[in-house]
Amino acid sequence: MKKLLLAILTVALACGIGFAAVGCSEEAMSDTISVITREDGSGTRGAFVELTGVQAEVDGEKVDRTTTSAEVANSTSVVIQKVKDNKSAIGYVSLGSLTDDIKAVPYEGVQASVENIKNGTYKLSRPFNVAYKADNDNATLADFLKYIKSDEAKTIIESEGYIGPESTQAYTKPETAPTEELVINGSSSVHPLMEKLVAAYCTASGVAASKIKLGYNDSTSGMNGAMNGTYDLGMASRELKAAEAEALTGYVLATDGIAVVVNKSNPVESLTKDQISKIYIGEAKKWSDVGVDVNEAK
Amino acid sequence: MTETTITQNGEAVIRRNKKTDLKELLMKIVFIIAAVCFIAAVLIICLFIFMQAVPAIAEIGFFKFLFGTEWKPSDTNPKFGIATMIVGSCYVTAGALVLGVPVGFLTAVFMARYCPKPLYRVMKPVTNILAGIPSIVYGYFGLTVIVPLVRRTFGGSGSSILTASIILAIMILPTIISVSENAIRAVPKSYYEGAVALGATKERAIFCTEVPAAKSGIVTSIILGLGRVIGETMAVVMIAGNQPQFPSSITDGVRTMTANIVLELGYATDLHRGALIATAAVLFVFILLITMLIALVRRKAK
Repeated sequence: MKKLLLAILTVALACGIGFAAVGCSEEAMSDTISVITREDGSGTRGAFVELTGVQAEVDGEKVDRTTTSAEVANSTSVVIQKVKDNKSAIGYVSLGSLTDDIKAVPYEGVQASVENIKNGTYKLSRPFNVAYKADNDNATLADFLKYIKSDEAKTIIESEGYIGPESTQAYTKPETAPTEELVINGSSSVHPLMEKLVAAYCTASGVAASKIKLGYNDSTSGMNGAMNGTYDLGMASRELKAAEAEALTGYVLATDGIAVVVNKSNPVESLTKDQISKIYIGEAKKWSDVGVDVNEAK
Repeated sequence: MTETTITQNGEAVIRRNKKTDLKELLMKIVFIIAAVCFIAAVLIICLFIFMQAVPAIAEIGFFKFLFGTEWKPSDTNPKFGIATMIVGSCYVTAGALVLGVPVGFLTAVFMARYCPKPLYRVMKPVTNILAGIPSIVYGYFGLTVIVPLVRRTFGGSGSSILTASIILAIMILPTIISVSENAIRAVPKSYYEGAVALGATKERAIFCTEVPAAKSGIVTSIILGLGRVIGETMAVVMIAGNQPQFPSSITDGVRTMTANIVLELGYATDLHRGALIATAAVLFVFILLITMLIALVRRKAK
């Protein structure tokens, strides 16, 4: 009986080791693309689908056309882990959280980097603008603007994974905290960052949190509200349009850059906007459909 | 004299009774408070879920919500259909039970009746440790070990029903093993001895007399496992792929109802949030139905 037991245990152990050995063996890159996306509502997904044209307007309604067969990862680290492990995977992360374990694919031939975003050649990025009327004499607005141009604000912006403004100065607390009400509204993409900034500003300046009314809808409503005086400060996750830039003073609070990432062994050299949106809509299911030869995989 | 002693005795008895009465009353109140807290917790949770879920379901439409196959919450004209997720939850649960129940049950039999003492001293704590591992750790283990393994062996992306089933099967093992083992151990020794005396082999005695006698405990262990599988969230969300689609094979990914809630609750507002809470309500009803069904089966078996 005991011998039998021992024999069974040995066999089980051997099977386990064998299975593990199969698992450790080098696998070839598969031609089928494993598409990895983020969950609905994620700011990164929102920016990605908007910039690559995965989101389209159908009959005047915005439709996220991401294929339902795309795997949904619930955080940046899960995207990175999946892309790192799977040679045929493609995903996207915000530029700030890019690591060396994975490869950022050049977008339209331009490498994803902070410099390329700043000089405007890397198009997979969008500015987070705030805009206000130059003649608005709201004291809280003036002080808040000083704060969001400060080093402290830059630290917060960068810790959230965005590219901060280039020049900042130190913020000095006003002797008496302004008591005027400040209304901020606009893009829902800028909103989470603004929420953090407002909270930090209230602690830094001593302004009562109830004095700042922060809400969100969308970029265009934010700009329109700022122009007609409903909001003191409007938020937009895009460039200001000509009419808006004329009526308002804009300030680029932060820049949101996105890197399309693949496994390090993927031989892909560059992807165009069209190719990326085809992959994410599900029209291109194979790497060969976007001109990548899997046999060249390292 | 006799009268007074009687009255004294009587008084003494009455006084003692008063004291114990007070104590008893006090403890009764404590127990009632505990019971009320528990019932209140359940009721408040139910109330909270259904108060938010019902208006959302009404707005979406009952059939559109339950049988809709499209989940597109961010579109201007959003669609909230959870049919794919109901199917996903069912597949993953079935997969985990198919893999986990036989292994767990046989391990329980082994531990109760075959295991040599030295090995048992190792195995018992190991099952307890397995039960105490947080689900996020199981999820990470699945993501880094099982996902690549499944991808290399079966192809696809690796995040699939199969992967989720394997991890969930491991997660329910401790429950099934310990509850089933206790149930088998609780069977009176005379069952086994009687069977052996009648000429049955050890295996026959165990599987044909002891196991049927322990059936209700074993079924309970499976229900507990089922409850854990259907409610498991963090591990599943990392390894199941989370695609809101009907899978065509076990290597396809699915989104379970729990995964749907945890994925989007952080961002959701208004109707989207309502739809997620409504998903929780559906899950709630599911668990209720399963519990009732099992209770029915057990009553019939008796």
